[in-house]
Amino acid sequence: MLELRSVSKRFLGIPAVDNVSFSARAGEVTGYLGPNGSGKTTTMKMITGLIETTAGEIFFDGQPIRADLLGFKQRVGYVPEEPYLYSHLSGLEYLVMVGQLRDLPPKPTVERIDGLLRLLSLHSDRHAPISAYSKGMRQKVLLSAALLHNPDLILLDEPFSGLDVSTSLVLRSLIQELAARGKVVLFSSHELETVERVCSHVVILHHGKVVADDSIERLRTLMALPTLEEIFSQLAVEQDTAAVSRQIADLIRA
Amino acid sequence: MNTFQQFRVLYRQFLFRLMDVELLSASAGGDASALLGQFGALLIFGSLLLSLGAFGISYLTTEPGLSREAVAAVVWSEENFMVSVTMLVVGVFALLSWDATFLDRRDVLVLAPLPIRGPTLCAAKIAAAASALGLTVAAWNSLAGFAWPIALAPHGAGVVCTMRLVAAFWITFLVAGTFLYCAVLGVQAVAAQLPRRWYLRVSSVLQIAALVLFFGVFFFQPSLANAKALGAPENQRALAWLPSYWFMGLLSEVSGTYAAEGHVVMAPLALRAVVSLGVAIFVAGGAFLLSYLRTLRKIAEEPDIVPGSRGGIWLPRFGNSPQTALAQFVIRTLLRSRRHRAVLAFYLGGGCAIVAVYLEGGGIHETWMDIVGRVNGLILVASVLMLCAAWLGTRTVFSLPLDLLANWLFRITPAPRSVDCLSAVRRALLALAVLPVWVATAALLLWFWPWTPAAQHLLLLGMLGSLLVDISLRGFRKIPFTCSYLPGKSKAHMLFWFGIIPLVIAIHKLVGLELRAMANPLSYWAMAAALAAAAFAARKLTNASANRSGPEIQVEESASAELVGLGLGRYP
Repeated sequence: MLELRSVSKRFLGIPAVDNVSFSARAGEVTGYLGPNGSGKTTTMKMITGLIETTAGEIFFDGQPIRADLLGFKQRVGYVPEEPYLYSHLSGLEYLVMVGQLRDLPPKPTVERIDGLLRLLSLHSDRHAPISAYSKGMRQKVLLSAALLHNPDLILLDEPFSGLDVSTSLVLRSLIQELAARGKVVLFSSHELETVERVCSHVVILHHGKVVADDSIERLRTLMALPTLEEIFSQLAVEQDTAAVSRQIADLIRA
Repeated sequence: MNTFQQFRVLYRQFLFRLMDVELLSASAGGDASALLGQFGALLIFGSLLLSLGAFGISYLTTEPGLSREAVAAVVWSEENFMVSVTMLVVGVFALLSWDATFLDRRDVLVLAPLPIRGPTLCAAKIAAAASALGLTVAAWNSLAGFAWPIALAPHGAGVVCTMRLVAAFWITFLVAGTFLYCAVLGVQAVAAQLPRRWYLRVSSVLQIAALVLFFGVFFFQPSLANAKALGAPENQRALAWLPSYWFMGLLSEVSGTYAAEGHVVMAPLALRAVVSLGVAIFVAGGAFLLSYLRTLRKIAEEPDIVPGSRGGIWLPRFGNSPQTALAQFVIRTLLRSRRHRAVLAFYLGGGCAIVAVYLEGGGIHETWMDIVGRVNGLILVASVLMLCAAWLGTRTVFSLPLDLLANWLFRITPAPRSVDCLSAVRRALLALAVLPVWVATAALLLWFWPWTPAAQHLLLLGMLGSLLVDISLRGFRKIPFTCSYLPGKSKAHMLFWFGIIPLVIAIHKLVGLELRAMANPLSYWAMAAALAAAAFAARKLTNASANRSGPEIQVEESASAELVGLGLGRYP
């Protein structure tokens, strides 16, 4: 289980994440939602150890991750929001390097990489440099790299970004499959329909604070709203969207 | 649509982007103007050093014992030197800004959808490049461009005559710089007519070839700066290939200082300078315009980085898996990054030039085959100098990042032990810097020399390489190419370039000891043991330093404190 207790992050005194507490259980898919700038990616980065928390503690399986960060990193798979990759390497070289960095046994890792590339339709482009890859292809490389070592905790930050429909469907099923096999899956997405179908539990963030942390069913009941989109709009969207769109159209016409 | 305003905005963007902001740390805030300022300050400092020589020449030319011909020869020689140096600086600038001449993929994707005409983009790029070129020439000659004309002005020349000479210098520098820049641009523009993938492959070769050519011509060109040599028929063929003499002729004609005795030989050279400038501008302009408009679309469709071969580069293992991953990453990155290869080529070119000057000075009465064909100190010194240049250049480029934002991978994967990381970097540095020089030296020596002295030197050369590698990796807690870079922190390579003459002398003396030791087995093995002990000690100290510094890998360069120790022996 992944647990965040009163986690905060401040940048130059400005809170990006403010006293966030929630847990993501094994066997469940936890959706982490929020508008742009609400602190989702910052939270993900704190969990992976890319940035340090200003306050609070993060636990995995009951142990603070800082106590054994090395051991924790061995059990985490992370797909970042932006697909920053070493573009001079080919897709195959990048994944082989990831396998070597994680000290995975060479032969099974190569077979695993080959299988992942085939299943994600990247096999024919495995020797091309990543600089020539489309956004979706880079996303697939990131996904492969995140799953290569069979992690216990999988963090996906906007994983559907740039993926075509078929791969999106595969990924959706994959997320559920991974959770069914006892992984802890935490993923953030702006595609609320997908979140509604895949997740059993959601955490909604707004201005760095948790405004909802419950199963989708309970949220529907509590708020008497039929869809996650309406729940999200009520909790995290401050603007009158119709009014804003009218104002934008008027502005550009002027 | 205000085309001029578009041009102005684009011009400013392109001018400041001639400096690669990816090299800057996030904490520098992408302040390219600060980097430009440092670059300008470096050139001005170089100009200051250059202008110091003017005082000596000024004294020399006023010596009463010197004949007019001797004074003219000295003056012409110095004028040729000034023109050659300016052309060399412009040539290096042109090569370092090779990739900036055309739009890159990001520019095309951002700018192409906007209502900006291709000619406006093209004009802004050319204007930015021309401004940068002008600033480079101006900064480099900011002090020397006044000190030297004043020093070289004829004895008793008035203010007007001296001012005319100053103006002639500046006109010549700008014209010579423009010629060389247009020549490089022309070569690049002609190459750009090729399919884009071929162009990407060929351009790196052209860059390195041009760098070797510039340094080679600068150091190798014969000294013809006197009336007899310039007018001699047997030298006319050589003069046809030495542009610095053409512009020296232009300088003499424009200044009119030596009209009486120099006009006959200088006028044809000046005419050649003007004609060659016109041809260079015409060819460069035409080919550039043609290729620019054609390449805009190609750039958007093709990757900027040279595509790898179908099977990738095969590399051996370098220890355990994490060590292999790091070492292979380092080697692949250097082999595939044009920018890093260009910087490395600069150091290698400098090393070649220093070796060439040393060999030329040491074997002045011998042919190349005579020098190579016998056991002698010249070749031994040359091999050590090339080793130093390769080591210094490779170690320097290790500090320059590539795809900095992608280093998150190394931050979230379990970091290898610091000793393992250091070991991987050490092996990569040995493979990239020491091994090629060692192999080339081995091929040369084992072919031409008896095997005993060849093997003796190769053993010492290998141990020296290992020693240098460990010295330069002390305190190194980074994975090459993955840490941000703050300019101005590195002091060791500045020390090297300013200490090159004492270094060459020291190597010369040590090679002398080596040669004597080669004849005496006891002395040789004592020398080898001492070098082995030094290499072993350096290895131990470097490993101990890595263990003390802890497991965390450094990914962000830290700014210096306000009070900074000199630390001349430290690398970033």
